[in-house]
Amino acid sequence: MHKLSKLMLAAAAFCLVAAPALADTLKVGVQAPITGSYANEGQGIENGVRLLAEQINAKGGVLGKKIEVIVCDDQGTAMAAAICAKDLVNQGVKMVIGSYTSTCAEAAQKTYFNAGVLQTSDGTADSLTAKGYWTFLRNSFPNSAEAEFAANYMVNVKKYKRIVVLSDFSTYADGLANATEAAIKKLGGNVVSRDKIKADSQNFTPVLTSIKAKNPDVIFFAGYYSDGGQIRSQQVALGIKADFIGGDANDNPDFVKLAGSAAEGAYIINVPSPDVLPYEIAKTFIADYKAKYGMMPASIWGLMNIDGMRAIIHAMEANKSFDTRKAADYLHNLKEPLPGITGPIAFAKDGNRKGGSYVVKRVKADGSYSYEYVK
Amino acid sequence: MDIFLQQLANGLTIGSMFALVALGYTMVYGVMRLINFAHGDMVAASAFVGLTIYTQVMGQATSLPAVIAIFLLSAVCMACIGIILERVAYRPLREAPRLSAVVSALGASLVIQNGIMLIWGPRMRIFPELVPQVYWDFGGVVISLIQVIILVLSLVLMVALYLFVEKTRIGAAIRASSIDQDAARLMGINVNRIIALIFIIGSSLGAVGGLFIGLYYRGITFNMGWQYGLYAFVAAIIGGIGNIPGAMLGGMLLGLFNAFIAGYVSSTWADAFTFILLIVILIVRPTGILGERVAEKV
Repeated sequence: MHKLSKLMLAAAAFCLVAAPALADTLKVGVQAPITGSYANEGQGIENGVRLLAEQINAKGGVLGKKIEVIVCDDQGTAMAAAICAKDLVNQGVKMVIGSYTSTCAEAAQKTYFNAGVLQTSDGTADSLTAKGYWTFLRNSFPNSAEAEFAANYMVNVKKYKRIVVLSDFSTYADGLANATEAAIKKLGGNVVSRDKIKADSQNFTPVLTSIKAKNPDVIFFAGYYSDGGQIRSQQVALGIKADFIGGDANDNPDFVKLAGSAAEGAYIINVPSPDVLPYEIAKTFIADYKAKYGMMPASIWGLMNIDGMRAIIHAMEANKSFDTRKAADYLHNLKEPLPGITGPIAFAKDGNRKGGSYVVKRVKADGSYSYEYVK
Repeated sequence: MDIFLQQLANGLTIGSMFALVALGYTMVYGVMRLINFAHGDMVAASAFVGLTIYTQVMGQATSLPAVIAIFLLSAVCMACIGIILERVAYRPLREAPRLSAVVSALGASLVIQNGIMLIWGPRMRIFPELVPQVYWDFGGVVISLIQVIILVLSLVLMVALYLFVEKTRIGAAIRASSIDQDAARLMGINVNRIIALIFIIGSSLGAVGGLFIGLYYRGITFNMGWQYGLYAFVAAIIGGIGNIPGAMLGGMLLGLFNAFIAGYVSSTWADAFTFILLIVILIVRPTGILGERVAEKV
């Protein structure tokens, strides 16, 4: 016992001596779903942040400080996300990269805002930037941008006459579907029905049968791939001849596995995949990523988050200060877009990322796809 | 009209899965007066077991004999797990108050569900296309091969079970045990063996139901058992718990009811209406549609 207390004292003394040394780092938080349904996306974000931190530290860090990465697992649930936010703020991070889902980003937003910690997420729900938080910087393009693209494609390019809009009840999917419906109507398109399904309920035949009675040309599904693949498969099984267009969250290899041979000819709208990014900076980063982790980045979303982190660090270096408020002001008023991995980076006053480019992929049953339409 | 017929086909398909699972509930209750809440998770586990047998044992063969072998092997595996479940979770509590057995059943449900998660992981696993996607179009009503297989095979299994219970000596022993276990024991029936048999039959029928879910929907998750278990439980109560034809009828009715509510009223409210139906049935006919009136023995 006596020995143990001596050891504890020594440890405490060591911590006191070591603390000032540790304080001399720039703490960067990562809030992401490291476990749970979206684990591969969350791990992709963590891997990317660690790689970028390594590269910056090798060049001497940010304004002479080394970056220290602190990861918190939000499991893709709002409750864990709220706890993560408190935890990361208590640990003294200056910025937080993530999370992957809108739900988790939203649950953590207010805590970061109150603490003046910058947050950059790829969540696409429009509500994220509607609260007037200067701390929030969206590094992806909002649902409304995807909705306009999807509506234009359906009404003006494909000339569909009878459109069905379908979604689940999540923040992301419901928002995307409502925005798409509004955009279709603005272009003079005809939405014959707007239906909702319960995520994970597996049996979509009743709702699809009632959709069949409306004789649609196309079913636009905003929701996640785990439902999208089954909806596509059951649509074909019911003999509904309409095209299927899925929103960005359908872009996952499991979509094709679930739909099986019915996947052939389905369309999925998304931002361009990492492997076709035309920028030099993207090519080198993806090559470095492959060299370090032995695989491609999980998806474009992880790279979007990396761009968010790069933008914040660029702002701090340009200001020669770690002040988060100044960094946010700098990013809200960029004269020239910064070069990014996923394209030029510029932010609107509300923290939305400016621009937005989307593609329509035509899926084949073997999981490969071809680009149908790029804008 | 064709929309109505299509919903009918949808409802019968999902209804026959409910019915297969409901049989497991109803048989166990009939003999032991116990709701086996772990049954739904057994059904989920069978889908994962079947998938593993397909990849590891069958070497991903998709021929007809291979598919039949997958069904048989999964049923055998689940029957073994069913016997173990009864030995570990229920037999020690045979004489205990009923609440203890119910709590034990809920515990078993959690153990199986988390066991699936630990072995196969929390992510959705996806079944291969073991049944070719063939469809027949009857003037707007589309029936697929898998739907026909599910419906026919379920009916065959249910009729076989009914005949087994009604026409054979063992069936008579099962019926005797469900009326009065002590009297059955005095007549020389080994009740422990009968209960083990009930678990074997219930688990293997549940295994077939689980494989149907995997083949029909393709995506399986570790926590899907609760959802199917709950539906099948409601189906068993609607038909009259403890009554074998009642479970079949209840499953079919629930499937149809669900399809028509989701198709004509709202898919969002389908679950709520299902439980409203349950409450109405319990108020109007507490013993279920085919359940007999149990006279109180004085």
